[in-house]
Order: sequence, then C-alpha cells, then structure tokens
Amino acid sequence: MTDTDRGTQRDRHSAFSLFTQQSLPACKPVLTPEWVIMTFLFIGFIFIPVGLVTLRASHSVVEIVERYDIGCVPEPFRIDKVSYIQDDSIPKNCSLSFKVPKYMKAPIYIYYQLDNYYQNHRRYVKSRSDKQLLHGQNEHGISSCQPVEVNNDRPIIPCGLIAWSLFNDTFTFIRNRAELKVNRKNIAWKSDRGHKFGKNVYPFNFQNGTLIGGGKLNPTIPLSDQEDLIVWMRTSALPSFRKLYGRIEKDLDVDDVVVVHLMNNYNTYSFGGKKKLVVGANWLGGKNDFLGLAYVFIGSSSVTIAVVFTLLHLLSPR
Amino acid sequence: MIYVRESHVEKMGKTQDVSYEILNVLEFNSTRKRQSVVCRYRDGRLVLFCKGADTVIYERLGTGNGDLNKVTRVHLEQFGSAGLRTLCLAYRDLAPDLYESWNEKFITAKSSLRDREKRLDEVAELIEKEFILIGATAIEDKLQEGVPNCIQTLSRAGIKIWVLTGDKIETAINIAYACNLLNNEMKQFIISSETDAIREVEERGDQTEIARFMKEEVKKQLKQFLDEAPQYFCSPSGPKLALVIDGKCLMYALEPSLRIMLLTLSLNCSSVVCCRVSPLQKAQVTSLVKKGARKITLSIGDGANDVSMIQAAHIGIGISGLEGMQAVMASDFAIAQFRFLEDLLLVHGRWSYIRLCKVVMYFFYKNLAFTLTQFWFTFGTGFSGQRFYDDWFQSLYNVIFTALPVVIVGLFDQDISSSLSKKYPELYKEGVRNMFFNRRVVAIWACFAVYQSLVFFYFVSLSSSTSRDSDGKMFGLWDVSTMAFTCVVVTVNLRLLMMCNSITRWHYISVGGSIIVWFVFIFIYSGIMTRFDRNDNMFWVIYVLMSTSYFYVTLLLVPVAALLGDFLYLGVQRWFFPYDYQIVQESHKDDADSINKPDSQETKEHLTPDEARSNEISQLPKEVSKHSGFAFDSPGYESFFATQFGKYVPPKAWDVARRASMKSKSKPK
Repeated sequence: MTDTDRGTQRDRHSAFSLFTQQSLPACKPVLTPEWVIMTFLFIGFIFIPVGLVTLRASHSVVEIVERYDIGCVPEPFRIDKVSYIQDDSIPKNCSLSFKVPKYMKAPIYIYYQLDNYYQNHRRYVKSRSDKQLLHGQNEHGISSCQPVEVNNDRPIIPCGLIAWSLFNDTFTFIRNRAELKVNRKNIAWKSDRGHKFGKNVYPFNFQNGTLIGGGKLNPTIPLSDQEDLIVWMRTSALPSFRKLYGRIEKDLDVDDVVVVHLMNNYNTYSFGGKKKLVVGANWLGGKNDFLGLAYVFIGSSSVTIAVVFTLLHLLSPR
Repeated sequence: MIYVRESHVEKMGKTQDVSYEILNVLEFNSTRKRQSVVCRYRDGRLVLFCKGADTVIYERLGTGNGDLNKVTRVHLEQFGSAGLRTLCLAYRDLAPDLYESWNEKFITAKSSLRDREKRLDEVAELIEKEFILIGATAIEDKLQEGVPNCIQTLSRAGIKIWVLTGDKIETAINIAYACNLLNNEMKQFIISSETDAIREVEERGDQTEIARFMKEEVKKQLKQFLDEAPQYFCSPSGPKLALVIDGKCLMYALEPSLRIMLLTLSLNCSSVVCCRVSPLQKAQVTSLVKKGARKITLSIGDGANDVSMIQAAHIGIGISGLEGMQAVMASDFAIAQFRFLEDLLLVHGRWSYIRLCKVVMYFFYKNLAFTLTQFWFTFGTGFSGQRFYDDWFQSLYNVIFTALPVVIVGLFDQDISSSLSKKYPELYKEGVRNMFFNRRVVAIWACFAVYQSLVFFYFVSLSSSTSRDSDGKMFGLWDVSTMAFTCVVVTVNLRLLMMCNSITRWHYISVGGSIIVWFVFIFIYSGIMTRFDRNDNMFWVIYVLMSTSYFYVTLLLVPVAALLGDFLYLGVQRWFFPYDYQIVQESHKDDADSINKPDSQETKEHLTPDEARSNEISQLPKEVSKHSGFAFDSPGYESFFATQFGKYVPPKAWDVARRASMKSKSKPK
C-alpha cells in the first residue's frame, strides 16, 4: 500500500502528470485598481520624455519644402498644362530660390516629393521583373511587365511600368553664384545596388516607343549604377512620397539664398499630381512630428487616466 | 450440468457438491422483469425457479399459501421503506409431459428467425405461472461515496436533477431523501398507480377499462397539481416542489395529450423522481425534456438499462464499474464514480466553456486586426486592390506567428482553481446564461480590433512617410508593411497575455517563441534570394529597418498605443462592472497554491450542518454492490450463517479476493 502511495506522490509532481492533470504552476494575474493606476503612470513616465525628446529632435530638423509644378509653368501655358509638358519644343527650365532659415549641417539631403501619385497601385507595383533586372535579356517570364514588355518585337530592358515612368526632373543648386555640388552617388539602398540590379545588365530598347513615360537611361551604364532608376523602383507605400535625389556635402548658413535651376520635365499634370522639392538636414529620419506627438499624447492621456483613477479609488474604494 | 456446493444446516462444516442439470434458461429482460431457469434434480424432479420483481412474481402466484404471500408483502414494504432493493423468489414443480410439450415450443421460439424476443416472451408466459413463493430478498444498495454532496452542489449550480429508476416507489423516495433531492420541507406531488382505487379496477381484470381509468386518474391528478403549483411558486420563500411519478402512470402521461401538462408541471419542480421506469420510458422522458423544454440534458447511468437514456440526452455519461461496460460504451463521457460528475461539470465543463469562448474570440480578433490593416491601406491605393503585406506574411500569420499561444490558452486557462470552482457552484450559471459569447462581447472585441487596426496602419504609415535611415534613403512599400506586420504580430501576442487568467510557463514560451519565430523568419526570408522567387520585394528589408532608430521608436509606440484601449477597458470592467468569477478571483487571490492538497481536506473546512450530516451518511460502511442478473450465489453466505451457529468456516480465497477488489474507501468509524 505504501509503495503505491509513494508512487502516486512521485507521479503527482512529474512534469507530464502536471501537464495532463491541468495543475501546472501558473501565475494568476488579477488586475486590481492599483495595478491599473501603476501601469498607466509607468507608461506616462516613459512616454512623455521620449515624446518630448523626439519632438525636440524633429523641430531641430530644418526642412524646406517648395512646390514648383505650378510656378514653373510659364504664364501663357497655364491653361493647358498637359500639352505644355508634352510638347518637347518648349524649353522646360525654371528657377526658384529659397532662403535658409536655420543653420543646416552637412550632409544636406535633396528630395523630390510627389503627391497624388499612386505608386502603390496594384497594376503598377506588379509591373516589373526582378529577374530581368538582375540577369538581363536572358531571362524569360517577363509577362508581368505588360504592357511595357516588348517594343517592335524586341524586349525592353528594364521592362515594366515602374521603370517606364522614371522621374526625370533635374535640379542644380547655386549659392552665391557658386554651384553647390550635388552628390548623386550612393542614393539607393546598398542591397539594391549590390543584389537586385545586375552589374552586367544594360538598358536596351528603353523609352523607344510612341508613349514616353519618363526619363531615358544611358545605355552604356549598367543597371546597378543607375541610381535614379533604383531609387525610383523602390515603390512607396502612400500616394504622397519623397525620394532621395542627392546630397549636398557643404553646410548652409542662416540666411543663405539658394537658387535652384530645375528642368520641369516630368508630367504630373495629366492626373493632378503635385511636385515639390524638399531640402533638409537629417536626424531620426526627417521632420516628422507625428511620432513625437503620438508619444506625448499617449503619455499624457495615460497620466490623466491614472490621475482620474486614483481620485476614484480614493473617493470610493472597493 | 452445474454443481452447487451445498451445505445444509444439519451438516455444518461439511459441504457436498450436488449436481443439477440446467435444461432451459429464460433470460432476464426488462419487459418481463424476471428470469427463470428449469433444472432437473439428481432424482429426476423438474423444477422451474424464478426470480424477479415483486409485482411480476405476485401476479403469477398460484392459489394457496395466502398467509405467506401477505406476510411477505408486508415485509417487502418494510424493506422498501428501509431503502433496500427487493426481489422475490418463487418455484414451480413441473410434470414431465407438461415440460416436454412446453420445451418443444420453447425450442421453436428460440430458433425462430423473426421476432425471436417476442416469441420467447410468449413461450415464457406459458410456463411462468402457478408459482409457489419461496420468499423475498432485500439488498442494501448504498449510494456511492460522495453522491449526496455531489447532487447538492449540482443543484446549487442551477442544474435540475431528475431520478429515473426501476425501483419501487418507496425505495426511490428513500434514495431521493438520502441524496438530498427530497426533504420534508418540500411539497411533494405523488402520482402513483398503487392507490386503492386503481388496484380495485385492476382486480376486475378488464384491460381496456383499466387503461381508460388510469388515464383519467393521471389526467385528473396532473391537472390538480398544475393548478396547485402556482401558489407555491409565487412566494419566493415558499416550499420547493417535487414530483414523484410511477412507471405505469408515466406510460399514460407521456401520451401526446397529457405530455405538455407533465412537462409544465415537472419543469416547475426542483426535483422529479420517476420510479419503476423501463429503459424505454427513461429515454422517452429524456427526449420529452430535450425537445419540449429545449434545455440541455445530461443523463448519467451505469447499467445496460440506462443505455437508451444515455443516448437520448444531449450528453450521456456512463459510470464504468461493476455493472459492466455497456453504459460506458454508449456514452459520450465515462467516469468512474458518480461524484466525479461534479468535477466534470463544475470544473472541466466550466473551464471548457471559458476556454472555448476565449479561443474563438481571440481568433476572430487577431484576424480582424490583421485584415483591417490592409483594408485601411486600400483607401490609399486608389482602391486598386494592392496588398499591403507580402504573400508569405499573410499565409504564415495564422500558421506560425500567432497559432501556438492560443492553443496553449485553450489547453490551460483556468479562471479559478478547481477547488474554488466546486466551492462556488453558482459560477456555473455564467455558462448557462452564455455570458462570455453573446453579442455584446463579440461587438466589444470587434470594436477593439477595428481600433487597433487603425492604430497599426495610420501610426506606421504616417510616421514612415518622411522617415528614412541614417543615410537619407527613403522607405518603400514593403518596408512600411514589414514594420506594420511586426507591430501586428507583437501586439496580437501581447493581447493574448492580457486576456489570460492564469499564465503558465508555456504561455511565456509560446508567446515569446512566436515573436522570435517571426524575427527568425523575416531574417531568413529577407536574407536569401532564390531563383524561384516571383519577386524580390523583401530582400534585405528587415536589416535596413532594424538599423534605423525609427524601427525601435515605432515598435515601442505602436503596441502600447494599440493595447492602451484594451487595457483601459479591462481595468474599468473589472473595477466597476465585474463578473462573478472575477470577484471570486480577487477575494481569493492571496490563497496559497493548492495543487497538492487533496480536495476532501478543503471541503471539510467549510461544512454546514446539512453537509456534515450527508458527509456522515456517505461515510457509513458500504460496498459497491453488484447488480447482475444471475446472482445465484451470494458471497459469504455460508460463512455468515456458519458464524450464526457458532461454527467457524474459513472464507474462500476467491471470496477474499473479490471483497478486496471492492474495498470501501473509508473504514467504518
């Protein structure tokens, strides 16, 4: 009798029997009011400082945004902007200037921003062939690139709508009558340059058709060095986006006047898109108040809730 | 040929084996309620022995020996009132030629291909008459350990308990008293077929008249009780109602015309006892409640005669034991003792309900949160149907990133411990009223899923619109979606921890494991590029993401923002509008962990006087008695009578072994 008793004692604690007998050691958290208040206070104490720091960092970023697509259309053509942009005979250069409000430390990033441009449209996102980008003409299966797949029975490299609609406005920056050199290298992701766009793949039969969607590519430069294309082909998430154009490696002082000469080539007028030029210095990824505000908001509402609950707890304890 | 080891009163201590030849066996069945055997003595005498219920034996007694019959009847009633189960024994001498002619009929009946049962019954009727009563036996059939306690706890849980038994009415009432189903404060409605009026009509012998009269009687009584019942019902402190009904009356009461009245009356009563019911009637009563009252029915039984009842109910439970395994084989659940029903219902049944509700709600919630995030995205894609997440993310979301934790919750979640569940059986009513899976609960979960999906999508996409890595390079669609997906996986897993009532080590492992698996997966997925990929959207995404401070800042913000609403709701609900089980949880949260304490110790601490009394009753010396058809031999008979005469006869080895296997759970005090 005692042997079986001892046996059952051992069994009672064996891991398997704890599992099958539903008596695993467990912690049973009970959410009492004290815990609720403490948690909210804790969240508040962490979030408010982080939020304030983020906000401060975001405010310390200097960013200049200039919309140019309306201003750069000469007066007589403003009525019919679409035919203006599609007419190759009209010169498209334009200049604008801006004043630097605060000291901007190098490197200064130049972005172009497009609004109401749906790079996340399903047909658009699909319309590329990564295999062709990496391996070139030898790859089959580029039907995903329809309708920009072949032209005159010859394949297009790089195929697809994304490449076809390459952004081709250009910008040059002049300060005090001296050109600020824009570094256009190393603007695309290193992984893209190294692994997604082939070193031996050259543009072929590109933008040769009747419909021209965007910029042309130099056929002598391999795709892995065509950084504009690479940047453009990383499709963005929202209809309003920025893409990196280049970097200025010099500092800009307060009240510097910078003149921008730009070529207004890209047609956003057919669909009501907007083009903007963004010049900014960088910390924590750009001037974005959203994160900071969100942190502060969550933190302060947590603290408010904690205070309310504390009062309720003191006035009418359970 | 069987050998019976007989010892007679004169020759105590000396046994001899006497041989009897068994010629025919008329098997027991529940319609005949008796069984017989024809045997030939060594000296050629043919005897028919019969054993059965007292009513059927008495119907077939011959004339003569009326005193013995009357005295035995009185004894039978006394036995019944004492709660014993009675049987009558009778015999009949058979003339050889009578036997021969009957035997032919019996053999033809036995080998017939159609309606064998019916023909055998008819043939048996031919010979089973003109009996001479030998006497009556009474068997003490004590209830199993813990039965009264169990029944009381279950009735506290709001479960109505009916007893359907084949015993006589006195025995049944006695057992019901012992079980706490009936007590003297209750108003008892008794519909019995043993009244004098009915007996008088029966003696007249006219079948149609008996049937008509009984139906009228039953109808009258039902009507009368139905009219009486409301007055007791109106006063809340008034006595509870109980109904006791006989098998014969039940036969008429289950007819379509009277069925509704029976149902209405019995649903108003807190206990119903049906006695002398046949297995078919047990099934009929169960279906009556199941279909008529539309309540969930559970039947529990241990013998072959309970099989039809077990199958008729929603849930059938068989007690495995000495009665054989027919009940167990026909049932949905099998338990070893009646008192385990309490555990089964109050502990495991309740936990099952809670776990099921949680699992189902969580599944809907996590998929809703995940899918709605994509839905908000479509507003920003020109409604073109571009998917937000990569294909693999979507496929594996439910398979490896969020699957295991919910399984662990479904297996192990316990809102209160098993001993507390039994201590507060009223918590069972939460399941009966379906409080955890009604429209309100579903709507609340859905609202929070919508809120969370809004947080996921807008927080991530708005913060990433101008975010970039340290080199100024911007994020694309797939980077943003990976960020959002990471937030979804983390949040949904943390939400699971928030909704658990008890968190074991496996919860931590599965939740942490799921999140880690996600990271491992995305590291691998974005690190390799194979020839078979349709597109290389995800290449190197996570490495770039994790090298930005944006990733960590957002990963801290989004889950907290998403869960803040849920946390607030949980806290407010528990504080101002708690469920009953939450109150129990809080009042007992400081109790020590009682895994290893046996349950009986805990129940002893909090006994009311009633419980103490029933505990004492159930602790009386008892054996689990055997109920089989062929109980020709009664173990220990010989040695009992031997000791009465002062002689010592050593008990047989097999008898000792059999008693040891039926050992009682506690020694007599």
